[in-house]
Amino acid sequence: MTELLDFLHFQAVTAEVLVAMGPLVVFFLGFQFFFLKLPAQYVKNLLKGMVLTFIGLILFLQGVKVGFLPVGSAMGGVLGSLETKWIIIPIGFALGFVATIAEPAVQILSYEVERTSGGSIRAKIILLTLALGVSVVMALGMARILYGIPILYLVIPPYLLVLILLKFSDPTFTSIAFDAGGVATGPMTVTFVLATAVGIATVMEDRDPIADGFGLIALVALAPILSVMILGMFYTLRRRKRA
Amino acid sequence: MSIRFKDNLYEVLRAVMPITLVVTILQVVLISLPLVDFLRFLVGAFMVMLGLTLFLQGVKLGFLPMGETIGSRLPQEAPLVVILLVAFTLGFVVTVAEPDVRVLAYQVDLVSQGEIPRNILILAVALGVAVFVSMAILRIILGIPIAYLLAAGYTAVLILSFFTPVHFVPISFDAGGVTTGPVTVPFILALGIGTASVLGGRSSISDGFGLVGLASIGPILAVMVLGVIYQ
Repeated sequence: MTELLDFLHFQAVTAEVLVAMGPLVVFFLGFQFFFLKLPAQYVKNLLKGMVLTFIGLILFLQGVKVGFLPVGSAMGGVLGSLETKWIIIPIGFALGFVATIAEPAVQILSYEVERTSGGSIRAKIILLTLALGVSVVMALGMARILYGIPILYLVIPPYLLVLILLKFSDPTFTSIAFDAGGVATGPMTVTFVLATAVGIATVMEDRDPIADGFGLIALVALAPILSVMILGMFYTLRRRKRA
Repeated sequence: MSIRFKDNLYEVLRAVMPITLVVTILQVVLISLPLVDFLRFLVGAFMVMLGLTLFLQGVKLGFLPMGETIGSRLPQEAPLVVILLVAFTLGFVVTVAEPDVRVLAYQVDLVSQGEIPRNILILAVALGVAVFVSMAILRIILGIPIAYLLAAGYTAVLILSFFTPVHFVPISFDAGGVTTGPVTVPFILALGIGTASVLGGRSSISDGFGLVGLASIGPILAVMVLGVIYQ
């Protein structure tokens, strides 16, 4: 188990976090001294917050770099060399579903949509729509790697659909939809799931790890946008019928 | 503070646990990686959970209150040029600190074997967010409907995607997805809602929204342009 001791090599990640947090800290301290001049309590909290974010970011990035990326890639390697390669499609579906249904940001979004629709679209329905939406695109993302489908084929049609729906969807729904893009790309999707996808593309013959491995986050980000826009369209149609 | 810590921990647990469980099941029934690799995954998951919780706690305790104050006071007290400049700078600095952006950049760096260095990618994404956040603020002040800007942005993405080298296309779209992370969103919203309530037109509340969507178009375009330059 001595192999696991490399988790303790924090130097590189510490240097990086200094660079990452530096500009943000300078920005806020500068604002405080030249413009905001908020009471001392704010500055005290800012300093505390700085320490917490600093330690937190170091742990997070180290966990991703030393833990998730190599293991994700190894796991992708195994999945990509299985004889029954299609199994990655249902695995993608399952990962998408469990990741979305429990995600707090998605639940907040569901209630927001329910409220905006005046209660006519139930939060549970929205949650289910979102989770299924993400599952389907995650499965599609895996199928894409398996069959080498260029990402543009999967991204352009939804984008065009969104552009068309912009005309029909209620403006409030449009705003919610576009802000919802990030709710499903939680911390595991960007780290572990992406590393696995890239790992699968790396071991498969005729697949390019960059051109075929990346693109999953983009698909997952599109799913909630499209789901909410479609719900918004139904809502608008229903209201028009009543009026 | 202790209550908030518990809330953050709970939130992060719910985001990390389900996939960790599915991976554990896969490990047992299908994959059987060497034990040390699986332990590596579990240690990683633990560090990610703890790290993200502390990070969110720090952002909410230290940075967000100030960000919100800037959002509500700046539009009242500063001229338009300064507001736009601050929007640009804020968009840039929060993206540089965004964990998701960094993780994507690691993987691109790793897989491209250093051909697309991570700092260049982070820089491109941050500039993309900065430009689009300032445009989004300008939109609120001028009262341009959000749908117009979204349509224009998406059309630009579609056109540019035909000129972008194949390798850069998936990375560009992924870059749009990672900018909507836990740091960027609250700050952009704070500034947007502040601007909308002070300077916005009639529908000021809904004006503040849609900002994040706009902000995520910026990095897609920026990375595509980076690809065209690299070619």
